[in-house]
Amino acid sequence: MSDVNLKEWSQARHLRPRASPLMRMLVVATIALIGVGVTPFFIDAYSVNVLVRSMIYASIALSVDILWGYLGVLTFGQSAFFAAGAYVTALIFTYQGFSAELAFAALVIGIAVAVAMAGLVAFLAFWHGATDLYASVITLVLPIVVTQLLFSGGTFTGSSSGLTGFETVPLSIEAWFWVVGAWLVILTSAAWLYTRSDAGQLLVAIRENEQRCQYLGLNTSNIKAVIFLICASIGAIAGWMYANYTMVVAPEIAGFVFGTELLIWVALGGRGTLFGPVIGTLIIDYASAHLQGDFPFIWKLVIGVIFVSVIVALPRGLLPVASSSLNWLRSLVIKAQPKERTPMQLRQASERSSTAANEGGGAALVVSGVEKRFGSLKVLSGIDFEATYGEIVSLVGPNGAGKTTLMTCIADGLKRSGGTISVAGVDIGHRPPNQCVRLGVGRKFQMANVFDTLTVGECLQIARARLDGLSKWHKSGICNLPQSALHIIRATGLDNDLDVPAQVLSHGKKQALELAMVLALEPKVILLDEPTAGLTKAERTLIGTILTELAKTEQLCILLVEHDLDFVREISSRVIVLHQGRIVLNGSVDEVVNSELVKSVYAGSGH
Amino acid sequence: MIATILDIITTAAILYIVASGLLLVFGVMKLINFAHGGLMTLGGYAAVIATAIGVNPWIGIPLAAIFGAIVGLGMERIVVRSLYNRPLDAILATWGLSIIIGQIITLVFDRGVHFAEPPIRGVVSLLGESYSTYRLVLTVLALLLGLGLTLILKGTSLGLSTRAVIMNEDLARGLGINSGLVRTVTFTLGSGLAAVAGALITPLSSVYPDMGTAWLISAFMLVLVSGSSLYSLAIASVVLGGAQVIVSGYFGAVLGGMTIAALAAVILRIRPQGFSYE
Amino acid sequence: MRTSLKKILFLFAATALWAGGAIAEDNPIVLGIPVGLSGANSIVAPSMVQAAELAVSEINAAGGILNRKLALEVADDGSGAAGAQKAYDSLVFQKKVDAIAAMETTAARNAGLPIITRGKIPYIYSSFYEGGSCNKYQHINAWVPQQMVSLMVDYFMKDQGAKTFFLVGSDYAFGRGLLGDTNKYITEKGGAVVGEEYNPMDANDWTAIISMIRAANPDVILTSTAAGAPNVTFTKQLRAAGITSKYGNYALDEGTAKTLGPDAEGIYLGGTYYTSIDSEENTQFLKAMHEKFGAKTETPNELSVPLYDAVHAYALAVVKAGTTETDAVVKALSEVTFDGPRGPVQMSKQRHAPLTMYLAQVNAQGDTNIIKSYPNVDPGDQCPNL
Repeated sequence: MSDVNLKEWSQARHLRPRASPLMRMLVVATIALIGVGVTPFFIDAYSVNVLVRSMIYASIALSVDILWGYLGVLTFGQSAFFAAGAYVTALIFTYQGFSAELAFAALVIGIAVAVAMAGLVAFLAFWHGATDLYASVITLVLPIVVTQLLFSGGTFTGSSSGLTGFETVPLSIEAWFWVVGAWLVILTSAAWLYTRSDAGQLLVAIRENEQRCQYLGLNTSNIKAVIFLICASIGAIAGWMYANYTMVVAPEIAGFVFGTELLIWVALGGRGTLFGPVIGTLIIDYASAHLQGDFPFIWKLVIGVIFVSVIVALPRGLLPVASSSLNWLRSLVIKAQPKERTPMQLRQASERSSTAANEGGGAALVVSGVEKRFGSLKVLSGIDFEATYGEIVSLVGPNGAGKTTLMTCIADGLKRSGGTISVAGVDIGHRPPNQCVRLGVGRKFQMANVFDTLTVGECLQIARARLDGLSKWHKSGICNLPQSALHIIRATGLDNDLDVPAQVLSHGKKQALELAMVLALEPKVILLDEPTAGLTKAERTLIGTILTELAKTEQLCILLVEHDLDFVREISSRVIVLHQGRIVLNGSVDEVVNSELVKSVYAGSGH
Repeated sequence: MIATILDIITTAAILYIVASGLLLVFGVMKLINFAHGGLMTLGGYAAVIATAIGVNPWIGIPLAAIFGAIVGLGMERIVVRSLYNRPLDAILATWGLSIIIGQIITLVFDRGVHFAEPPIRGVVSLLGESYSTYRLVLTVLALLLGLGLTLILKGTSLGLSTRAVIMNEDLARGLGINSGLVRTVTFTLGSGLAAVAGALITPLSSVYPDMGTAWLISAFMLVLVSGSSLYSLAIASVVLGGAQVIVSGYFGAVLGGMTIAALAAVILRIRPQGFSYE
Repeated sequence: MRTSLKKILFLFAATALWAGGAIAEDNPIVLGIPVGLSGANSIVAPSMVQAAELAVSEINAAGGILNRKLALEVADDGSGAAGAQKAYDSLVFQKKVDAIAAMETTAARNAGLPIITRGKIPYIYSSFYEGGSCNKYQHINAWVPQQMVSLMVDYFMKDQGAKTFFLVGSDYAFGRGLLGDTNKYITEKGGAVVGEEYNPMDANDWTAIISMIRAANPDVILTSTAAGAPNVTFTKQLRAAGITSKYGNYALDEGTAKTLGPDAEGIYLGGTYYTSIDSEENTQFLKAMHEKFGAKTETPNELSVPLYDAVHAYALAVVKAGTTETDAVVKALSEVTFDGPRGPVQMSKQRHAPLTMYLAQVNAQGDTNIIKSYPNVDPGDQCPNL
């Protein structure tokens, strides 16, 4: 356990005794619930009526915000899930009549249909390697397909007319206001808790850098799919309420125009803020209802102009602007206080049983006959080598020799065109990166690859997510790290920066952080792509020492791509020279350094 | 049979005309212009204006080009320029611009449906079928458009710069190509083409403030499966347009309406580069 | 930029003033008119607003109702159910209108009816529709299929000797309802339906359906495409395809036929109102329209004139009831007769009205000529329980 940090942490707690976030959330939620309870007594019936609908919309806007603002999935298709919930309800009430059991069944079936649709979308949109744009395209196709299906339902779905005149849950407008209002408060609170939890930070991590998450052993496709399914259910529940409350369903609610309107509300309110989209939706929809009748064109024009301005000038939306100006006002009155944050507490992870010692001494990494082609271009061919535990093997060669490509082939089973690779005795087959991590591969990229907006501590937590899991409802404030990672953190002074966003770190510290994140995975084989690039001499020496120690004490197999031949000479136990996609030399440091061939390769006169 | 083939060819031609402007913008700027539908609407109203002032209906088409180009130039200067590095935000911002265009049109005209005088009426007899003359004329226009754009890209120095930017923007900039200018010109041209497409489809449709939206998604999906090649776009238009005609014929117009979107999504899932051969 | 901001501020200020002023103005009776200012119905909406405005100014010129003025509150329903719901909500609960008269799609009407029920106000529906809509606050003064289908089909089969029919509709309740009845009637009378196809209301590409028509080569095409844009796009594309079958359209109004120009030539129409109706009331009505709206007069049509009738009927009913109180007005609405451009209309048959029906055809100049008329056609049993 980091004593220093622990002390600082307890000091900080002592210094600022205040309610935990959970308590504060409960207080705010209670006030909001009371607000929902009394509002119908103070406003006219028309406004109550409009607000019920606005609150239903706000609950879907919230789900759009989770997907877009947190997870980074720009979705046009949330309207389709809303329509699924609404149409299932309307169809059941139209053809089976109303009863309490049927109303419940409608809710369950609506969610099931939405989840099934979302599953199909997730299958299409979130495969390993799919781009953000492709995911958005699929969410755009969904409402179009659903709308056409509703049209093609003929008299069954009412086609263009939709369904009307069915009997629904017999609640008064005020009762609906309470039901929908309470649901919105609970939903928002739950989303707030989740997004502020450790697991919530993972969503941001995926948005920021999905590739890094995959190479941290996280199945991001699955995580995205699960969140997408949950958001689809939220949409279906909103649809159920809508059908019950308005007693009308029409194909417009499934369409992409409505899906885009949700995005407009979220963007204006402030994506990634939860409250922004909820408040934004309530204000805009409520104001629309009051103004659209009298100024239909001007009103929509004004919304359009504000929307474009916000996207261009204030991509974070209006809530952050409002809250920062509030803070500014407050700072004029009260002396500014440092932003409170629970400092991260680092602990040593309990040793896992599997270390090199009990692997039976076999090779850590076996590469045989690996080749990689891009079309007719052969980037790698006939790559054969082995590396054992405790070894530091350097890959050298001129630019374009295929070093990084080889690293990629080892860390991602889908990348190579031929040959086999096994890690700790297991063939990696066609495993994607997150599963290669499970086998014990840790990869550090050439450019420091961390989560820019997360703090150092959060980055480390995400790196441990595969092994330790993440809390879904609060910030645990604890991160367990193996000895090797802790050592790096301390040696580089990162333990004083745990609450600092990773993007403000120096280049050297970013490199160290990424290395610590890779070590947090407790890998058996680590792939380091130019770990010293851009570092100072001192930093370089430090990294060299750490790597040598790691190889010795942890019995790690380290594969290193390096241009700095002095560095290579100092730390490597073996050197492999790649040239034009082939291994031209595989031997001890001395052998390689003295080789004429290598000199000619580097001089560019080879062949 | 012959009628179906003619339907497929002419539908493909219409799709090609509608999507070419969007493709140009996407190819050069890697940016999806969701204002494409709004610009088409603008072109439709240009045709309405031509009818209203009583000139030859063909005048509506250059008029649309001018309207579209001016509005496109303004949009690029004021809004799109700052979104080059935020492609998903650019989709939203251009959708917002589309709303603005639609509302301004509504304020100037009204929400109602308008008509433009078609340049050509009637039918011709072709291979034993009497077929809409205008749809056949559109096919010829689509061919000319493809040819013209190819000539511009291949034959002029601006075209060369544009192709360089399409292939590798950083490199092109390094070679001293003013990629900002290329983007401005491309967006202006793309917007002009969108408006021309809007004017060209008015004889088949009616003109109202939302008319472009219906075409936007089809154009968008076609561009996605075509990458940045005009040839691929032609292939995609024939394949997807043909599928739409056939599905509509056998399974009804309603399912036909979603053919392009659904098929394109599946194609992209199987082959992310779609019809482009890169 | 500056000017538009000023304009908006001005408009905001104007509403504030207007909202304040409305209360001061001597408490008029307010009739709500939800109408499709945008969307598919927007093509006919202006004519409806004009017809309603004319009726109101006539009523007010004659001294108003029960010494109160009659005022209109027009709201856009977006031609669909979702928009209608907002419009009705706003009219009933925000503007608190005394009654609603509306020409709308079935979906919009069905979306509005629960709100009418909740708000408990009289409602007059003035659009031809598929029949069978019953609500205790609702009256209907336009035609239903029972009054129309047999006239149209009999004309083609008996007078024109047609055998095969192709039915095309917009995919909504009216389209399907009317064509379903038509199909049944044609089959009963020994004709053949060689195709029945629907396109969504906002679809604008009819290529596939037109290809089917070409393949089927029917004697007659009968359509119930939605009034407005679908009617127009279908007709244009059909004409562009050079198909020469006879073409009967249930839902094309005279005004739209005129704007369609040469494309509309030869289309057969059926309905209850054409400007060429030769009666004292119609001549006066047309004169009043031109006096009030001058060059901006929209052609009165099948959709606008029933709304004109509805406004007058409401005024008569309030006078008869002596109050705007809902139950009394609803009762009176079944009893009053308004003698308007369509002839005398009384909504006495289970809230529906026996009507004089016409068959007409558009000529090369875009004018609509009446071919036949059938007086006092009964709507049949629409709401036996009311």
